[in-house]
Amino acid sequence: MIKLPSYIHFVQPGLMTSVQDLGRFGLAEYGIPYSGAMDRYAVAQVNFILRNPKDAAVLEMSGIGPEMVFEHETRIVFAGADTEVYLNQKPVKYGQIVDIKPDDHVLVKKIKKGQWAYMGIQGGFETETVAESKSWFEGITPRTRVHKGETICYLSEAERYYHPVETKAKIRSDWFRISKIKVYPGPEWDLLPQLLHNRILNKAFRISDMIDRMAYQLEEKISHELDPILTSPVYPGTVQLTPSGKLIVLMRDGQVTGGYPRILQVENASLNVLSQKTPKEKITFTLIS
Amino acid sequence: MDIKLKLIQSRLLEISWPKEISPKTLSEMIEVKRFLEKEYTEGIKEIRMGYHCLSLKLQIEITKEEAEELLEEIQAVKLEIQVPTSKLWTIPVCYDGEWGIDLEKISKIHNLSPEEIIKRHLSPEYLLYFYGFLPGFMYLGGLDETLNTPRKSNPDRSVPAGSVAIGGKQTGIYPSESPGGWHVLGNCPISIFDINQNPPVKAQVNDKIKFKAIDLDEYKELKALSKAGKYQLQHD
Repeated sequence: MIKLPSYIHFVQPGLMTSVQDLGRFGLAEYGIPYSGAMDRYAVAQVNFILRNPKDAAVLEMSGIGPEMVFEHETRIVFAGADTEVYLNQKPVKYGQIVDIKPDDHVLVKKIKKGQWAYMGIQGGFETETVAESKSWFEGITPRTRVHKGETICYLSEAERYYHPVETKAKIRSDWFRISKIKVYPGPEWDLLPQLLHNRILNKAFRISDMIDRMAYQLEEKISHELDPILTSPVYPGTVQLTPSGKLIVLMRDGQVTGGYPRILQVENASLNVLSQKTPKEKITFTLIS
Repeated sequence: MDIKLKLIQSRLLEISWPKEISPKTLSEMIEVKRFLEKEYTEGIKEIRMGYHCLSLKLQIEITKEEAEELLEEIQAVKLEIQVPTSKLWTIPVCYDGEWGIDLEKISKIHNLSPEEIIKRHLSPEYLLYFYGFLPGFMYLGGLDETLNTPRKSNPDRSVPAGSVAIGGKQTGIYPSESPGGWHVLGNCPISIFDINQNPPVKAQVNDKIKFKAIDLDEYKELKALSKAGKYQLQHD
């Protein structure tokens, strides 16, 4: 089986297009975050459908998707946020294997529902591996997002050793309707009075416009009298309470230490759910006891 | 040791010391970290450090009871009387002209001349507590108390790579360009973080850092050498 290095040419880069895998681990002691795909569940889906290794690198997109031209044969699959995708002007089904021929044109339009869309490719992307991961991150990998006119490498397999599977895989969309985010009490949770515990757990919080790969800020404020803490370890999913009462949930690119009280820790699967929330959507926190 | 242990998730726990920045706490944390890495090589995925806590990501799930047993075990760790060995690294900083971005402002805040601010910033041997905030960003303790300055209420959108800055009771170097709320006193021409090296940093936790003032000519020279990979950070 011959694998031919090939490139996707980006006619338009999209708003926030990057290569991600499941992240870079074990380097937090040097201040390096995990990074990796915001919605790991969607990555698992595309890689499963393509029979890829589960940590194969995928394309992550947000806001407006890219316009791409493929050099050679491959297969691609879309999952995550619901997006209109066109292959040579014809609509493509979500969660289905799309057969790509040389010079095929793929257009990913504005995201309709959710925040992060994913495109898996047969065998995964062949960008630089830095410290055992292909996830793009400022100061670690040569690139942090795709720009107009750039290319990304993949290995084309012209001869296929298995027939395209007629996947009847239906991607569940009820995933996007979940608004309960499961949380554990964070290290500083017990320093808050009972009254604020009740308020935080019974309140619906709206996602603010301030959302990116590092953190999601919530709109409603919780006034409190907690002292700042000395800089301490934080993780993706750590919910910080700022002096002004703002709640900030750290996401995949979040820094490894922080100086705000860490009141909650989002459970792993719930972090994928939260990542797909868009500004103005409401969430509630449910404590896992 | 005056420590507490809190199980956050079944695979995440935090061991905390009293809330203070102190070399004694750091040395106890290092001892406990060493003990855990030696005894539980397989069970611990990662240990993160703050000023007064160790956070443990575990490979396996543990119960509250097991966590309590672990705390007892840690309590029994014999602390070495000997201070762990550490290196003293000298890091060149140019405080001149364009690099001392906030020097004048800091001079006004503290009612001290810029020369006096620089002198007080140069005198201590700073202790490296841990890395955080950005890849390769050192949390350094030991700032002259007269230089303690609250962080900017509106952080700058972009602080240049190499910026040497003060914030609160701390000082540090921005290894890469980033938004930042600290006051920039100077710039270091040497690259202090390189992901292609293993480890990506030279100075380790518990090492000491001393700054050395250089002028603009030396700055340019060292920057060129560092870019060409011909300059290594110096230690004693």
